[in-house]
Amino acid sequence: MAGVALLIPLTLNMDATGAIIMLCAIFYGTAYGGTITSVLLNTPGEAASAITTIDGYAMTKIGKAGAALTIAAVGSFVGGTIATVGLVAAAKPLGELGLLVGPPEFFALMVVGISLLVALAGKSMVKAVISGALGLLISMVGIDPVAGAPRFTFGVDRLLDGVSFVAVIVGVFGLSELLSYRKGAAAPAVHAPNFRSLLPTGKEWRRSAPAMARGTGIGFGLGLIPGMTGSVSSLLAYGAEKKFSRHRNELGKGAIEGVAGPETANNSHANAALIPLFTLGIPASPTIAVLMGAFLQQGLTPGPTLFTENSEIAWAIIASLFIGNLILLLLNVPLVGLWTSILRVPTTILTALILLFMVIGAYTINFTVFDVFVMIGFGLLGLALRHLDIPLAPMVLTLVLGPLMERSLRESLEISQGDFGIFVNRPISAVLIGLGLLIIFSPLLKLRKPKALNEDPET
Amino acid sequence: MTTESLTTTPKSAARVAPSVLVGIGAFAAVGIYVLVSSLGLGLWTSLGPGPGLFPFAMGGVLVAMALVWLIQELRRPSETAEGVDRGLVVAVVVSLAILASVMDLLGFQLSTFLFLMYHLKLRGRRTWVTSLIIALTGSVGAFYAFNYGLNVALPVSAFPLLNTIGL
Repeated sequence: MAGVALLIPLTLNMDATGAIIMLCAIFYGTAYGGTITSVLLNTPGEAASAITTIDGYAMTKIGKAGAALTIAAVGSFVGGTIATVGLVAAAKPLGELGLLVGPPEFFALMVVGISLLVALAGKSMVKAVISGALGLLISMVGIDPVAGAPRFTFGVDRLLDGVSFVAVIVGVFGLSELLSYRKGAAAPAVHAPNFRSLLPTGKEWRRSAPAMARGTGIGFGLGLIPGMTGSVSSLLAYGAEKKFSRHRNELGKGAIEGVAGPETANNSHANAALIPLFTLGIPASPTIAVLMGAFLQQGLTPGPTLFTENSEIAWAIIASLFIGNLILLLLNVPLVGLWTSILRVPTTILTALILLFMVIGAYTINFTVFDVFVMIGFGLLGLALRHLDIPLAPMVLTLVLGPLMERSLRESLEISQGDFGIFVNRPISAVLIGLGLLIIFSPLLKLRKPKALNEDPET
Repeated sequence: MTTESLTTTPKSAARVAPSVLVGIGAFAAVGIYVLVSSLGLGLWTSLGPGPGLFPFAMGGVLVAMALVWLIQELRRPSETAEGVDRGLVVAVVVSLAILASVMDLLGFQLSTFLFLMYHLKLRGRRTWVTSLIIALTGSVGAFYAFNYGLNVALPVSAFPLLNTIGL
């Protein structure tokens, strides 16, 4: 998530299409790259690859790291490409459906997304709600979009335009993560597999195929649901292998299915999650919300109108998804040795360079050091939230959604002349609001959520 | 008597960690501030919902959640999180703040060069050669890469003397 946010400034001077293509590629590219450290070091590079450590690292220990990495890359390619085909197929019908969505339905849909994220957010729902409320409040700083009144600006002129989204994300995710490093974690020794060992055996291919098929299905389905993160998909895909795989008793001891399933699922998820963004304008996960922020910064509103008003941009991005997945496949497998050498760079050097990059990123948003101070402040806030065990994901989602939610709420109430009944009188929004309430109150109703969801490391 | 009552207190009754209490207090305070100030913004206008309505709801949520959290903590205190490396936090935050304060005066190149040298040589204990190469690349190199490669202008020094020599 911080990766996408960090690189937004690099794209500010690009044309809209190029900028979005680059950020999308970073977004699904991390689903490939995260695997490398999971398999070789037992340390997930991205939360969505956490479950891969179990069988991936076990394969490294028995000398099959190369095969695991190749299968993971191929699985990611398969999952990502099939999900993109799904995006092409769904774009038109869903876009038409999206045009029927008025302010009340839009508001209700966002309520569902936020409820899901809050309900799935690990141990404490209370802390998740606090995180969400904070995000909404931060998004309200500045001139109120309807009446034009300044809100929570504390008399600071710079805050009239609101707090810069990029500075907040870079601070809360990037800087606070650097600040929470602890001593003693020495750079681990990595041994990149040699080229010949990268080729899986015929048996490994045959065993991976069904796992990839299951992973694609799971990732695609969950990617469409707002509030689901890629880690949920990979966790459930691993669960599916444990239940349905013919070699399920080998899982945990270095079974190729344990790599193929989750790695296919998280890429399929990443690409499928673009479908609700492109067709309905709803970001399904915090990372997608960052991506949506980049769209808005480029003056593009994702949603049904994207295909009618900016169709050449929309289709160029979709075409880039196919090419991007292919490039990632070609980059990842043969060059794995090069990527692992980055891990040997001493932490002090990496830290200094990342800090530099964050400063440049924050500065170039508006070409003012004010945003650098904003980033530092939010870095400290992020550190405090991490210390208090408050999940950061709901905050990012509401930070982006806040203005949209408020606008749709107020537009709805203006249509109904102040009657809150508008949300329950219209069938689609009534169903969605009901669903949102059900999700929030499900712990009270003692509805059990799958165990895998409690372990979602992303929230 | 006093000793007896002390010994009978169950050992498991752990205290709520001070940092957690501070956190809860801070969220409640922010919530109350938002509630009060959004009343001033106006909850409702003749046209419908006013600018204060949404913040008012959020302030209410924040206060309510802080209370629920407090009750949960009093019933069963959560385990305290591991402490942070204070030296690191202070060094990074202070150096960043100084960098941001002097960047417009000294220009991007000189200020980030000093910043990187501090983190590489003084804190990171890298060799002089490594530190100088990385610091120069990160400051002067980045300045020209952004200026000419990406067409993004990073600040130059406000001092004419430094400015004329290209910093």
